[in-house]
Amino acid sequence: MIDPAIADHEYAGQPRRNEDTKGPDGPAFVSSFLRGDSLAGLQEKTQGIIGRSVPRHDAYQAVAGALQYTEDLRFPGMLHCRILRARYPHALILRVDTSRALDVPGVAAVITSRDVPHNRLGPMQQQHVLADERVRYLGDPVAAVAAETPETALEAAHLIEVEYRELPAVFDPEEALKPGAPILHGASNLFQRQNVRHGNVEKGFVESDLIVEESFRTPFLEHAAIEPQVALALPSGDGVIVYSPSSKPFSIQREVARALAIRQNRVRVIGTASGGGFGGKNEPILEPTLAILALKTGRPVRGLFTREEEFVASTVRHPFIMNYRSGVSRSGRILARHIRLIADTGAYPAMDSKTGGKTALVKGAMMAAGPYRIDNVLVEAIAVYTNQPVASNMRGPGVPQVCFACESHTETIARRLGMDSLEFRLLNAYQEGDVTPFGDTLFSVGLKQTMRQAAAAFGWAKEAGR
Amino acid sequence: MKISFTVNGRSQELEIRPERTLLEVLRDDLGLTGTKHGCDSGECGACTVLIDGEPANSCLVLTPAVRGRHVLTIEGLAEDGKLHPLQQAFIDHGALQCGFCGSGMILSAKALLDRNPSPSRAEVRRGLAGNLCRCSGYQQIVDAVMDAADRLREVR
Repeated sequence: MIDPAIADHEYAGQPRRNEDTKGPDGPAFVSSFLRGDSLAGLQEKTQGIIGRSVPRHDAYQAVAGALQYTEDLRFPGMLHCRILRARYPHALILRVDTSRALDVPGVAAVITSRDVPHNRLGPMQQQHVLADERVRYLGDPVAAVAAETPETALEAAHLIEVEYRELPAVFDPEEALKPGAPILHGASNLFQRQNVRHGNVEKGFVESDLIVEESFRTPFLEHAAIEPQVALALPSGDGVIVYSPSSKPFSIQREVARALAIRQNRVRVIGTASGGGFGGKNEPILEPTLAILALKTGRPVRGLFTREEEFVASTVRHPFIMNYRSGVSRSGRILARHIRLIADTGAYPAMDSKTGGKTALVKGAMMAAGPYRIDNVLVEAIAVYTNQPVASNMRGPGVPQVCFACESHTETIARRLGMDSLEFRLLNAYQEGDVTPFGDTLFSVGLKQTMRQAAAAFGWAKEAGR
Repeated sequence: MKISFTVNGRSQELEIRPERTLLEVLRDDLGLTGTKHGCDSGECGACTVLIDGEPANSCLVLTPAVRGRHVLTIEGLAEDGKLHPLQQAFIDHGALQCGFCGSGMILSAKALLDRNPSPSRAEVRRGLAGNLCRCSGYQQIVDAVMDAADRLREVR
């Protein structure tokens, strides 16, 4: 069963009124410009501000090697954390025995799910800090060690004995929807649905002279920031201090407090310089574990992913399976477009607090039809659980996937029509006042001018004539 | 084991286990955390230092291998508090975003310019091929190195 609170939101294509959107904020000159003041007036008010190059406040430290990232922090008595992860992509945990690991000299603590006061994370409360009864992908954390050195922590992690009963696993979202597929959560692997309806797509296809259908797939992508996942927690009074390069320090604070079952004001999160995030440092996949170890040992604890862990156990970009069917007139107008999207969310939902793990699906569905005026659009998008790494945000969640599919599809249609694909794009491109399938009225649309200038700049006509 | 080498012009004598990498010793024993730790496998170049002027991934160098040699890290590049022209050019061109690749980039660029004071853009790209940047797309980095090459030639 899908939670009714998150099931099937449909947008009927009603244009939203501009009054509904949040008003402009920021400096007075910006809002005055947005209210319609002249450009000359704006330039006068911003004299000496716009167009001036300002060095970054931390640039000197950065080039001198003095900027402190989380891994550069040193505290007396600091311990090192190593996480033991699942041995199978899908299995029941029957027994965890940490006694041999605890006997290793230099080990300060070993924790399992039993040591976690509140063992659920994120708005969907599906991910755990440490797995209790079941693991659903190879990155699932089962136990964590804090030791005097990273080498000792690794050695001890290998000595934790876990007895599993392996379960059948599923790695492809289409397979995951078939009857008899292993189920990851609840009664179905269907996690979420996002539809967009605009006009009457069947009528549009009937009126079309040519119908083109094709499918595309994109794989998962790892953010691969040069700095791996890293954080440091230390006990402080009746709470903890957490150093983290996370892009979402307040979400880290909330999740650490909830995992420890303490008040949020007992958790202080200090954001350090970040060695690259790209959406891959949004989620509390290390900090709650470190905070528990810090309170248990009374010492600072640092956690640092290996590069391999980064690929196995940090979040990735959703793989998409995309089916595009478009109807066009002989003259090249797109009359109808029906798109089906399947997003692989992996073993758990993304921990987006605002959308309940749905950001990539909503954005993908919104952008799927492309920057073209099409009167009849139907987008049917679903997200599906598999035993793959957890998909979450990465630079424009859901968007590069559908842009790749849509623009490849654009090229195919233009070729089938015998049209230059730039001409085909210009014929269908959004212009001032168009309404998107999602119901947004567009203004300040410079798409056609931009395409023409770009085509002139890189010699499109010559390229196309080859 | 006991090992002596020079780091940023200062001689160091350390008692270390022979399997420790130069990266670990620089960061953990000498507190020189400007050298970054990215992949532990020589892929990303964030840990680049110069050994006798040649760039090396310090995560792949066992410390005994630098016995008697000169190691330069990012902390040793500025002289008397004055930034090296490469460092200044990286600031002026906004060549660092998150900054994590910067130490290695700047040191690889120094080795390149010491060898070839007037590189083409293609030669700069080849010279930095061992250093990955995930933020910038490399354009500003190449701009900065070309600019620094100009500034260094003026000094000479």
